[in-house]
Amino acid sequence: MYEKEKDLISAFLRGEVDRRGMLKGLGAAGLTAGTAGTLFNMMSTRALAADFDWKAHSGKKLKLLLNKHPYADAMIANLQAFKDLTGIEVTYDVFPEDVYFDKVTAALSSGSAEYDAFMTGAYMTWTYGPAGWIADLNEWIKDPTKTNPNYNWDDFLAGVKNSCAWNGQPGGALGSEDAKQWCIPWAFEQNNITYNREMFDKAGVELPKNLDDMIAVAAKLQKDIGGIYGIGVRGSRSWATIHPGFLSGYANFNQKDLNVGADGKLSAAMNTDGSKAYHAKFVQMIQESGPKDWSTYTWYQVGTDLGAGASAMIFDADCLGYFMNGGDNKMAGKLGYAAFAANPEATASTPNIWIWSLAMSNFSKDKDATWYFLQWASGPEHALFGATKMDFVDPVRQSIWKDEIFREKLNGKYPGYVEMFDASAAGASIKFTPQPLFFDVTTEWAATLQKMVAKQVPVDEGLDQLAESINRQLQEAGLG
Amino acid sequence: METMSPLERVLRGLALTLVVVFFMFPIFWIFLMSFQTNETILAIPPSIVFSPTLSNYAALITGKLQTAAGTLDIAFMRNLGNSIFLSVASVAVALVLGVPAAYAFARHKFKGSEDIAFTLLSFRFAPPLLVLLPLTQYFQWLGLSNTYFGLIWVYQLICLPLILWIVRGYFEDISADVEYAYRIAGHSWFATFRKIALPLAGPGIAAAGLLAFIFAWNNFVFALVLASADKQPVTVGALAFVTSSGIQYGQIAAAIVLSVTPTLALALYAQRYLVEGLSLGAVKG
Repeated sequence: MYEKEKDLISAFLRGEVDRRGMLKGLGAAGLTAGTAGTLFNMMSTRALAADFDWKAHSGKKLKLLLNKHPYADAMIANLQAFKDLTGIEVTYDVFPEDVYFDKVTAALSSGSAEYDAFMTGAYMTWTYGPAGWIADLNEWIKDPTKTNPNYNWDDFLAGVKNSCAWNGQPGGALGSEDAKQWCIPWAFEQNNITYNREMFDKAGVELPKNLDDMIAVAAKLQKDIGGIYGIGVRGSRSWATIHPGFLSGYANFNQKDLNVGADGKLSAAMNTDGSKAYHAKFVQMIQESGPKDWSTYTWYQVGTDLGAGASAMIFDADCLGYFMNGGDNKMAGKLGYAAFAANPEATASTPNIWIWSLAMSNFSKDKDATWYFLQWASGPEHALFGATKMDFVDPVRQSIWKDEIFREKLNGKYPGYVEMFDASAAGASIKFTPQPLFFDVTTEWAATLQKMVAKQVPVDEGLDQLAESINRQLQEAGLG
Repeated sequence: METMSPLERVLRGLALTLVVVFFMFPIFWIFLMSFQTNETILAIPPSIVFSPTLSNYAALITGKLQTAAGTLDIAFMRNLGNSIFLSVASVAVALVLGVPAAYAFARHKFKGSEDIAFTLLSFRFAPPLLVLLPLTQYFQWLGLSNTYFGLIWVYQLICLPLILWIVRGYFEDISADVEYAYRIAGHSWFATFRKIALPLAGPGIAAAGLLAFIFAWNNFVFALVLASADKQPVTVGALAFVTSSGIQYGQIAAAIVLSVTPTLALALYAQRYLVEGLSLGAVKG
C-alpha cells in the first residue's frame, strides 16, 4: 500500500527530488496531509536507520531538563519519532524560564545524575564548562562510530556553531582550534529591527539605516503617531539588557567589551572614544523615544508593548518580533522585520546572538545514549520538522534556510524576515569576550547604563567609572 | 464611652473606605483581569468595560494554554493539587510533632530544653538557598529526591519551628493549676494534655496551623530544587504563564484567583481563632 508514494518520499530523502516535487507528487496521488505526514515520518525514520545503528542503545532511559519554550515544544511534538528510531525511552521535566536556570544550576552543582541532557544558553556554558559540569561534545561529534553519517556538522552556521565552543581560557577566541564544544546550537536569535508597518506608513518614515537615523525615526514616530513610544529596548539591571540590540549596535562600531592583552590578561574596553560616542547616542535614543519605565524593561515588556501597539519598533531578538506577530496580539500580522547596521560605515549588520543549545551533563550515567538524543534533536530531520511545522526559529542549519517551504512560510506571514536573516546571518555571532565574570561585568554595565539614562552620571564619567570597577574585579579574580 | 459627632463618624467612614479601596483595588483589578483577554488587558487606555470571558479559567482547567506560538500544555491544576497536598500534609505532620513538643517545653523544664527549642527555631534563620545544595546531595543519597515524603520532611523547616514556638507561648499562658487539679483527680499527664491543655490551647493551635499553612503554601524554592516538574507547587507553576512568546496576563490573573482561594477561605473560616490565638499567645501576664 502506498508503494509509489513511499518511493517518491525515499527519492526526496536521497536528494533526487526536491521538496516541491515531492509535495506535488503526493498531492497528485490524492494523499491527505495527515497520511502524507505519517508516510513521511515513517520513511524518514527508515532512511535514518539505514546508515547507522540507531538501535544500539535500545531499552535505555534518558531524562531531559527543558525550558518552557517553543523550541522545547517542537521537540516534544516530534519525540515519538526518536523513540521509534532508537528504542530509547525519554522523559523530561519542563520548567518556566524564570526559574529554569536556577534549576539547572542546582542540578549540576549538586552533581545530580537525574538529568542526562538539558537546554542551555551558550553564555551559561562559560560557567558550566570550566566547572566540569558538562561534557565536551567533540568526543562524540568527531567519532564516526557514534555519530550518524547524515548528521552533517558542517551544515551548522559557522558563527553560531563556533559561539558554542570555547577553550576555557578567559579571553580565548570562541571556536578556536583547541575549543571544546560545550553545547550544540539548537536555534538562535539575532538582534535586529521588528517594526510596526502601519505606524511606519502612517508617519511616512523609512526603516532606519544607522544609529543616528534610528534616533530620528524613533522620535518622529513617537511625535507623529501619538500615545506610543518610538523604540523598545531592554533596560533592567541585568546582563540581558546588554546582549541584544545594545551590544549588536556596539559591535557594529567595532567596539569590544574587554581587551585581551598579549599576556592573556583582560581589561575593560568600554571607555574608548568610540564606545563613549556610541553610549551617548544610545542613551539619547532611550531618553527621547524609549519607554517611560525603561529601567524595568525585560524581554517580556519589550515584546508585549510591540504586540499591543504601544511601541513602533524594537531593536531586539528577531524571534521576539516573530512571536508578537501572531496569537491574540493586537498587532498580529502588522509587523515587519529588517536587518540593522548601526554604523553608517559598516557594510552589514553584526548581530550579537542568543543561542538555545543542548548540553550533556557530565554526571549522566549513559553519555553515549545521551549523545544519540542530542544528535537526533539537533539533526537535519528534526530541524526541518520544527522549522516547517512548529516555531523553531531561527534554525541553526544552513540547509533549513535554503528550504523553499520554510522560506515561503516566513515570507507569507513575516514580511522581511528571510531578507533580514540573509543580510545579517554571516555577521551573527556572540560578540562578548568569554570569561568567568561575564554576568558580573554585564550586570554592572547595565547598571551604569541605567544611571546614564537617568542622568545620574554623564556618559564619559560613567564609562570611566565602569572601566575602573571592572578592571579592579578582573584583577581581584586574577584575570586582569 | 466617648460618643462621636456625625461629622466625625462620616470622616471616619470615609477614611476607612479609602483604606479598604486602597488595599482591595489590586485584588479587585486582578479579579477583573481574570475575565479578560490579553488584548483587552493591554488596551491603551485601560478600561473597566469589557466583554467577560471564561477562557482563562478554561485554559487553566483543561491545561491548554493558547499563546502566540501555538498551544502550550500547562499543569496548573496539578500544581494547585501539589500545593494543597504539600501544605496540608506538612502542617499536619508539624502539628503532630510540634504541639506535644511545645507542651513539653512549656510545662517540663529539663536539661537542655531551651537549647533544643532554640535549635529548632534556628531552622528559620538559615536562608533556604544556603542549605539547599547540601540537602540536594543528602536527598539523593537517601533516595528522597523527587518524592512527596522528602518534600514534606523539608517543609518541616518552615512549619515545625513556627508551630512549636507559637503554641509553646500559648501553653505557657494557660494556668498550670487547672492541669494540676485534673492530675490530682488521678488522671495521667497524657490525659491531662489531651483533655485539658489541648482544648484550652485550641485557638492558639489553629492560629499557628493557619500561619504555617500560609508559609508552606507560599514556599517556592524547596520543591523547585528538590523535585521534578510533576511535584511543583503553584508558586512555581504560575510562572509558566510568562512565556518566551509573551506574558499571558489573563491566565496569570485567573491563576492568582484560584490559588488565593484556598488560603483565603481557610483564613476567613479561622479568622476568629487567628486573632484570638495570636493575641492571647503573645501577651504574657
